[in-house]
Amino acid sequence: MPAPSAAAVTRRHHVTQLGRSGATPVVFAHGFGSDQDMWRDVALRFTEDHRVVLYDQVGAGRSDREAYDPRRYATVDGYAEDLLEICEALDLREAVVVGHSISAMVAVAAAARDASRIAQLVLVAPSPRYVDDPETGYVGGFSTEDVEELLESLDSNYFAWAETMAPVVMGNPDAPHLGEALEAGFCRLDPDVARDVARLTFLSDSRDLLPRVPVHAVVLQCRQDALAPPEVGAHVHRALPHSTLVHLRATGHCPHVSAPAETAAAIRAHLRVRS
Amino acid sequence: MTEPRDRGVEAPAAGAPPRSSAPPRPRADREGGEQPAVPPLVPARPDVEALWHAAPCAHLLVSAEGLVTDVNETFLRWTGHGREDVVGSAFTRLLPVGDRILYSTNGLPQLTLTGRLDEVALQIRGADGTRQAALLSAVRLDGDGSVLVALFSAAGRRRYELGLLTARRRAEASEARTAEAEAQAQHLVRHDPLTGLLNRTGLLEVLDRALRAADREAPAAVLYIDLDGFKTVNDSLGHASGDELLVAAASRLRTALPEDAVLARLAGDEFAVLHGVPVDDVPPLAEGLLAALGAPVLLSGVEVVVSASIGVAVADDAAGARVATREGGPGDGADEAGERLLQRADAAMYRAKAAGRACWRRHETGCADPTADRLLLLEQLRHAITDGQLRLHYQPRVEVGSGAVVGVEALVRWQHPTRGLLPPSEFVDVAEESGLVRELGAWVLEEAVAQAVRWERHPDGAAVQMAVNVSARQLVDPELVPAITELLERHGLPAPRLVLEITETALMREPEVALAALSSLRALGLHLAVDDFGTGYSSFTYLKRFPVDELKIDRSFVAGMTTDPRDHAIVASCVGLGHALGVVVVGEGVETPQQRAALEALGCDLAQGYSFSRPVPPGPVPPTAS
Repeated sequence: MPAPSAAAVTRRHHVTQLGRSGATPVVFAHGFGSDQDMWRDVALRFTEDHRVVLYDQVGAGRSDREAYDPRRYATVDGYAEDLLEICEALDLREAVVVGHSISAMVAVAAAARDASRIAQLVLVAPSPRYVDDPETGYVGGFSTEDVEELLESLDSNYFAWAETMAPVVMGNPDAPHLGEALEAGFCRLDPDVARDVARLTFLSDSRDLLPRVPVHAVVLQCRQDALAPPEVGAHVHRALPHSTLVHLRATGHCPHVSAPAETAAAIRAHLRVRS
Repeated sequence: MTEPRDRGVEAPAAGAPPRSSAPPRPRADREGGEQPAVPPLVPARPDVEALWHAAPCAHLLVSAEGLVTDVNETFLRWTGHGREDVVGSAFTRLLPVGDRILYSTNGLPQLTLTGRLDEVALQIRGADGTRQAALLSAVRLDGDGSVLVALFSAAGRRRYELGLLTARRRAEASEARTAEAEAQAQHLVRHDPLTGLLNRTGLLEVLDRALRAADREAPAAVLYIDLDGFKTVNDSLGHASGDELLVAAASRLRTALPEDAVLARLAGDEFAVLHGVPVDDVPPLAEGLLAALGAPVLLSGVEVVVSASIGVAVADDAAGARVATREGGPGDGADEAGERLLQRADAAMYRAKAAGRACWRRHETGCADPTADRLLLLEQLRHAITDGQLRLHYQPRVEVGSGAVVGVEALVRWQHPTRGLLPPSEFVDVAEESGLVRELGAWVLEEAVAQAVRWERHPDGAAVQMAVNVSARQLVDPELVPAITELLERHGLPAPRLVLEITETALMREPEVALAALSSLRALGLHLAVDDFGTGYSSFTYLKRFPVDELKIDRSFVAGMTTDPRDHAIVASCVGLGHALGVVVVGEGVETPQQRAALEALGCDLAQGYSFSRPVPPGPVPPTAS
């Protein structure tokens, strides 16, 4: 199948490019329940000396909702294919892919499949599996009981899940211009898409992909992450052939939002030195 | 309730964050005067701690790390948790897993970015594991970034949301049903309920798609099929049999067609086929359909044979014609192209009918658009009537035995400014279809009656019978009887001198209406003739009831009567039938002395044809016969 054109990909994912066009590309992939705007505070710290690529996963943000195909996006592979198509369409070389939450696994799946355009991964609060796996002793942080509850919640707590997908309006007092810039274009994710994404995020198991990542990966582990406990970060670090585990002081699941400076600095500190 | 919260927002900035059971702000510790060095920003009130604990909603203070540092009594009472179970553990542990995820991925980032959360719907896990619906509002406190959380019981809202959800699920189900009904309705819009075939609308849609398709393998051909004599079946055997015939015809067409051909029923007895087919394959296709329709059908125990006339137009014809009609023509969209292709096939079908039915004709490539042609012709004809371009020629009607001229038949001609003298076949059908036939017919009647009177008044003239053709549309025109009454009065022509000739087909189209019209005309004293007898489908019942004076045997039988014994038998039967009914029998199209002799031998009363005289322009006296 021929790769879609740059214009098609740009439209499908509402791709935003910032920074220096000739410099090393850094691609930011947002996670569950957010969109590319959540990266702004981190991304703006790279525009000086990098080519910054931001995009919305199909179904989120300002992506082309028509492109949402439940079958394609039932696994991380569909999203990984999107990521590879973006790299291809924009002719990115030696790209650093920064993925948060489920998109950390999207980045892993993409690199495992075809790392010809990917030089390095940065996995922010990654989890290859949220559910504990007592057979292997894997700790994901969620019991099977939790999973049943989650499934029930996905079906019954429809409005809460729908609400979650309404992007946060960023009233950042430190950078009010950001909020203004982002006021326009906010739109709610289709609740049914949200449920699909939630199912994928919390019920999938991508552990077998980790050993197949041929490039170096930086794992950023937060404190008090209700979704990804420290055991998970440790597992990811162990399972990846080449990785560095960084413990952030930041708490919660979204360090790029709560501690953008620390997050950006941690990424920078581990970027490969280039001539 | 807002008061403690407001204080809470400001308080942490003033000093160290509260620990243990102390409420977040200038509360009990201050009241106790244990830290007098720090002046309260808000005047201390003795009941502040009591208010914190007695507040109508549950309050929690959560550290920047997400650990609960304080709760009020309302929360403990509501959830059944002990203070020691809650304080020091993660706030998210109080939430069921779904809400924990939502709070972490969405609530916390929002708190970070905007400093507050408003009315987030979630559930709180009680000590006994039960879940309580709640609305959560929270503010991030300046200073250490801890968060003051307020929880309102929201059981009602939760029930409401579940109700909404149930309604939504029901609406989805109903939507699915509606969509199905809609699809059904859409089907009805595009299909003919009797045969289940596409209707005109449906066919045009398919046709438009076919014409839009850029890379057609073969040009799209449209075959316009009209059953010959369907109305007779409908009228004589009833509508149920008519419907039966249509269903049978549909089934035969379907069977005779390739699987990928599209079949539609356009209206009444009109069908159409759309098929992508190389031009060379059109003739066998059309012939195949004619053969399929030609086999007898058993309807209510009666064996009926119907034939069909087929007009064919191929998409490339339409493309050619598009250029031809560009000036002032309709737009070039596929819609119009489809419609035009259908019109062309329709026009070709009329040519097949005119050619004697039970055959097919193709729209001729390179011809001007027949539709545009027709419109142009109509416009010209309208002017021709008022501008005096029409002529009447007269053919003698002769007594077979004596050869005496007893009357004439008036035949209309059009002296066209560029095309010369046109016979009626070139324009009468168009007039009949458009309604212009009323004006045309009125002109012919006026002129013929006037001529009859002129001849009569001429010193060497004679009083002859004037026969005039009347079309189906004219016959059922309620204005016809008063118009003729007025005409005869004005010119002073006795009614019996005027013969109105109506074709058998026109009479049988709506026999009851025709019967009423004939009766009124007959009441005026006119003579009435059945023209082209033998080509239609007369029912003897009607023939018996029609108040007619003449049967005119169709020229096709007369032409064959000396060479084909079957034609001879038919003519003989017609003469016998006419005489049995007590009417005059006229042989038409007599071209040879042999035919004339044969008619005479059969006892035929009158005849007309080239053998006696061709139609001639009017002279001062009536024409004579050789």
